[in-house]
Amino acid sequence: MRKPLPPRQDALWWWRHPAYRRYMLREATALPLFLYALCLLYGVRELGRGETAFQAWLAFMESPPLIALQAVALLAVLWHAWTWFQLVPKILVIPTRHGTLPGHWLRLAHVVPAALCWLLLPLLAWWALGQFAGGGA
Amino acid sequence: MTRSLPRRSQEPVAWSLFGAGGMLLAFLGPALVLITLLVLPALLADDVAAGHAAVLAALRHPLGALLAFAGLSLTFFHTLHRLCHGLHDLHVPLSARLVGWVGYGTATLLSLLAGVWLLGL
Amino acid sequence: MSGSLKVRVQRYRPEEDDAPWWQSFEVPWSEDTSVLDALNHIKDVEDGSLSYRWSCRMAICGSCGVMVNDEPRLGCKTFLRHYADADEIVLRPLENLAVERDLVSDIDPMLAHIETVQPWLQREQAEAPEAGETLQTPVQMARYESFSHCINCGLCYAACPQFGRNPDFLGPAALTLAQRYNLDSRDEGREARMPFLNGEDGVWACTFVGYCSDVCPKDVDPAAAINQGKVASNVNYAVNLFRLLRGGDDA
Repeated sequence: MRKPLPPRQDALWWWRHPAYRRYMLREATALPLFLYALCLLYGVRELGRGETAFQAWLAFMESPPLIALQAVALLAVLWHAWTWFQLVPKILVIPTRHGTLPGHWLRLAHVVPAALCWLLLPLLAWWALGQFAGGGA
Repeated sequence: MTRSLPRRSQEPVAWSLFGAGGMLLAFLGPALVLITLLVLPALLADDVAAGHAAVLAALRHPLGALLAFAGLSLTFFHTLHRLCHGLHDLHVPLSARLVGWVGYGTATLLSLLAGVWLLGL
Repeated sequence: MSGSLKVRVQRYRPEEDDAPWWQSFEVPWSEDTSVLDALNHIKDVEDGSLSYRWSCRMAICGSCGVMVNDEPRLGCKTFLRHYADADEIVLRPLENLAVERDLVSDIDPMLAHIETVQPWLQREQAEAPEAGETLQTPVQMARYESFSHCINCGLCYAACPQFGRNPDFLGPAALTLAQRYNLDSRDEGREARMPFLNGEDGVWACTFVGYCSDVCPKDVDPAAAINQGKVASNVNYAVNLFRLLRGGDDA
């Protein structure tokens, strides 16, 4: 006589194992990043509305809740980038004469330029805006 | 063995946009957040007029506008793709089709807004 | 290295039980005692009514998959010495599959999914043996070789929350085998397999949780295979779109 117990996944499955919790944390990075992108979109609109509106947007971005959101977004985007580059070699297969390019090379080829971007772009923005602000004063 | 062929999924469109957004965010996201968190407030506090002109000039340049549009639009598609799948993962009792329409519809709408506002600068 | 360990086993006897229940045993172990050895000890010495699957004892038949402390593992490839510091080890049947009896899962859904993707070498025209072997270079073989190590043990299905969420999802092993044959230079069955990869329950139901690759006892890396399958399905989608735009048939 067959009387199998059917499998049933409950809504909290993702809490039950560290691998699932890491996965959910990776997917959850989307929430602060979505809100952050909304703030930037709002900034584009205010930029077009003139200096006063732009100043109000800057003040809005410096209010404590928005500072907190940006701090969370920074952590989220770093976790996103880390997990993203871990997965790249699994998807990207580059054939060579003797097989395929090893995964750790591929990962390095992403992480090194990305880290340079993270460091150099803010410095570049600092320098460029400083030129403008200095020139205006 | 005869088996009816399944209907083709439209996910490749969503996945391509998700992937492009994810790659862009991984490379540029941390720098962007650092800029709005640290660079803008520090530099624009005393001379908003010059700052406004500078950011405006950057986003009026075709290359700047294109990058800003791609950055915003692909980020919306990337994040909403993950949030839609997240609702399914969390057993939220909504049909996948409805979630898809609302999610990717929102991303499309926000992208349009970004395009209109960037062109209007 | 030796000692004894409490082994807690989930029991379910369909003739008598309406719900699963737990039974504990004290099992002596030495350095080479596997979980499968522990189960055999329990059945031989403690309780002959315990049911579980096993055959080869050397991680190639793929029969003895169970949940060991909530992780999908092969009983024969998991040793009690690794749990010497734990209070107990807890054995359950594989997650996401129906339980037939005690530690025996119903793996039919997985086998049906594997069959769906037609994981065998297909040639458009049958060749006579006299025509000789179909040759392949080492580089051509390296493209799919690691994906061919699958032993159909089902640990990846127990690890996959998307299969748990949607049992129609073809799942890690089936999609890996599809990719294994699609990558084989001797195979001509890609066109027959792609519709199943392209469907809602094919590669697109995967969200790259990646745990399937962590638990695979043969290091097959199903997550990599499925996501390379997504790239292939993406290309297939674009080609089809192009064909539609030129007034061709939907495929």
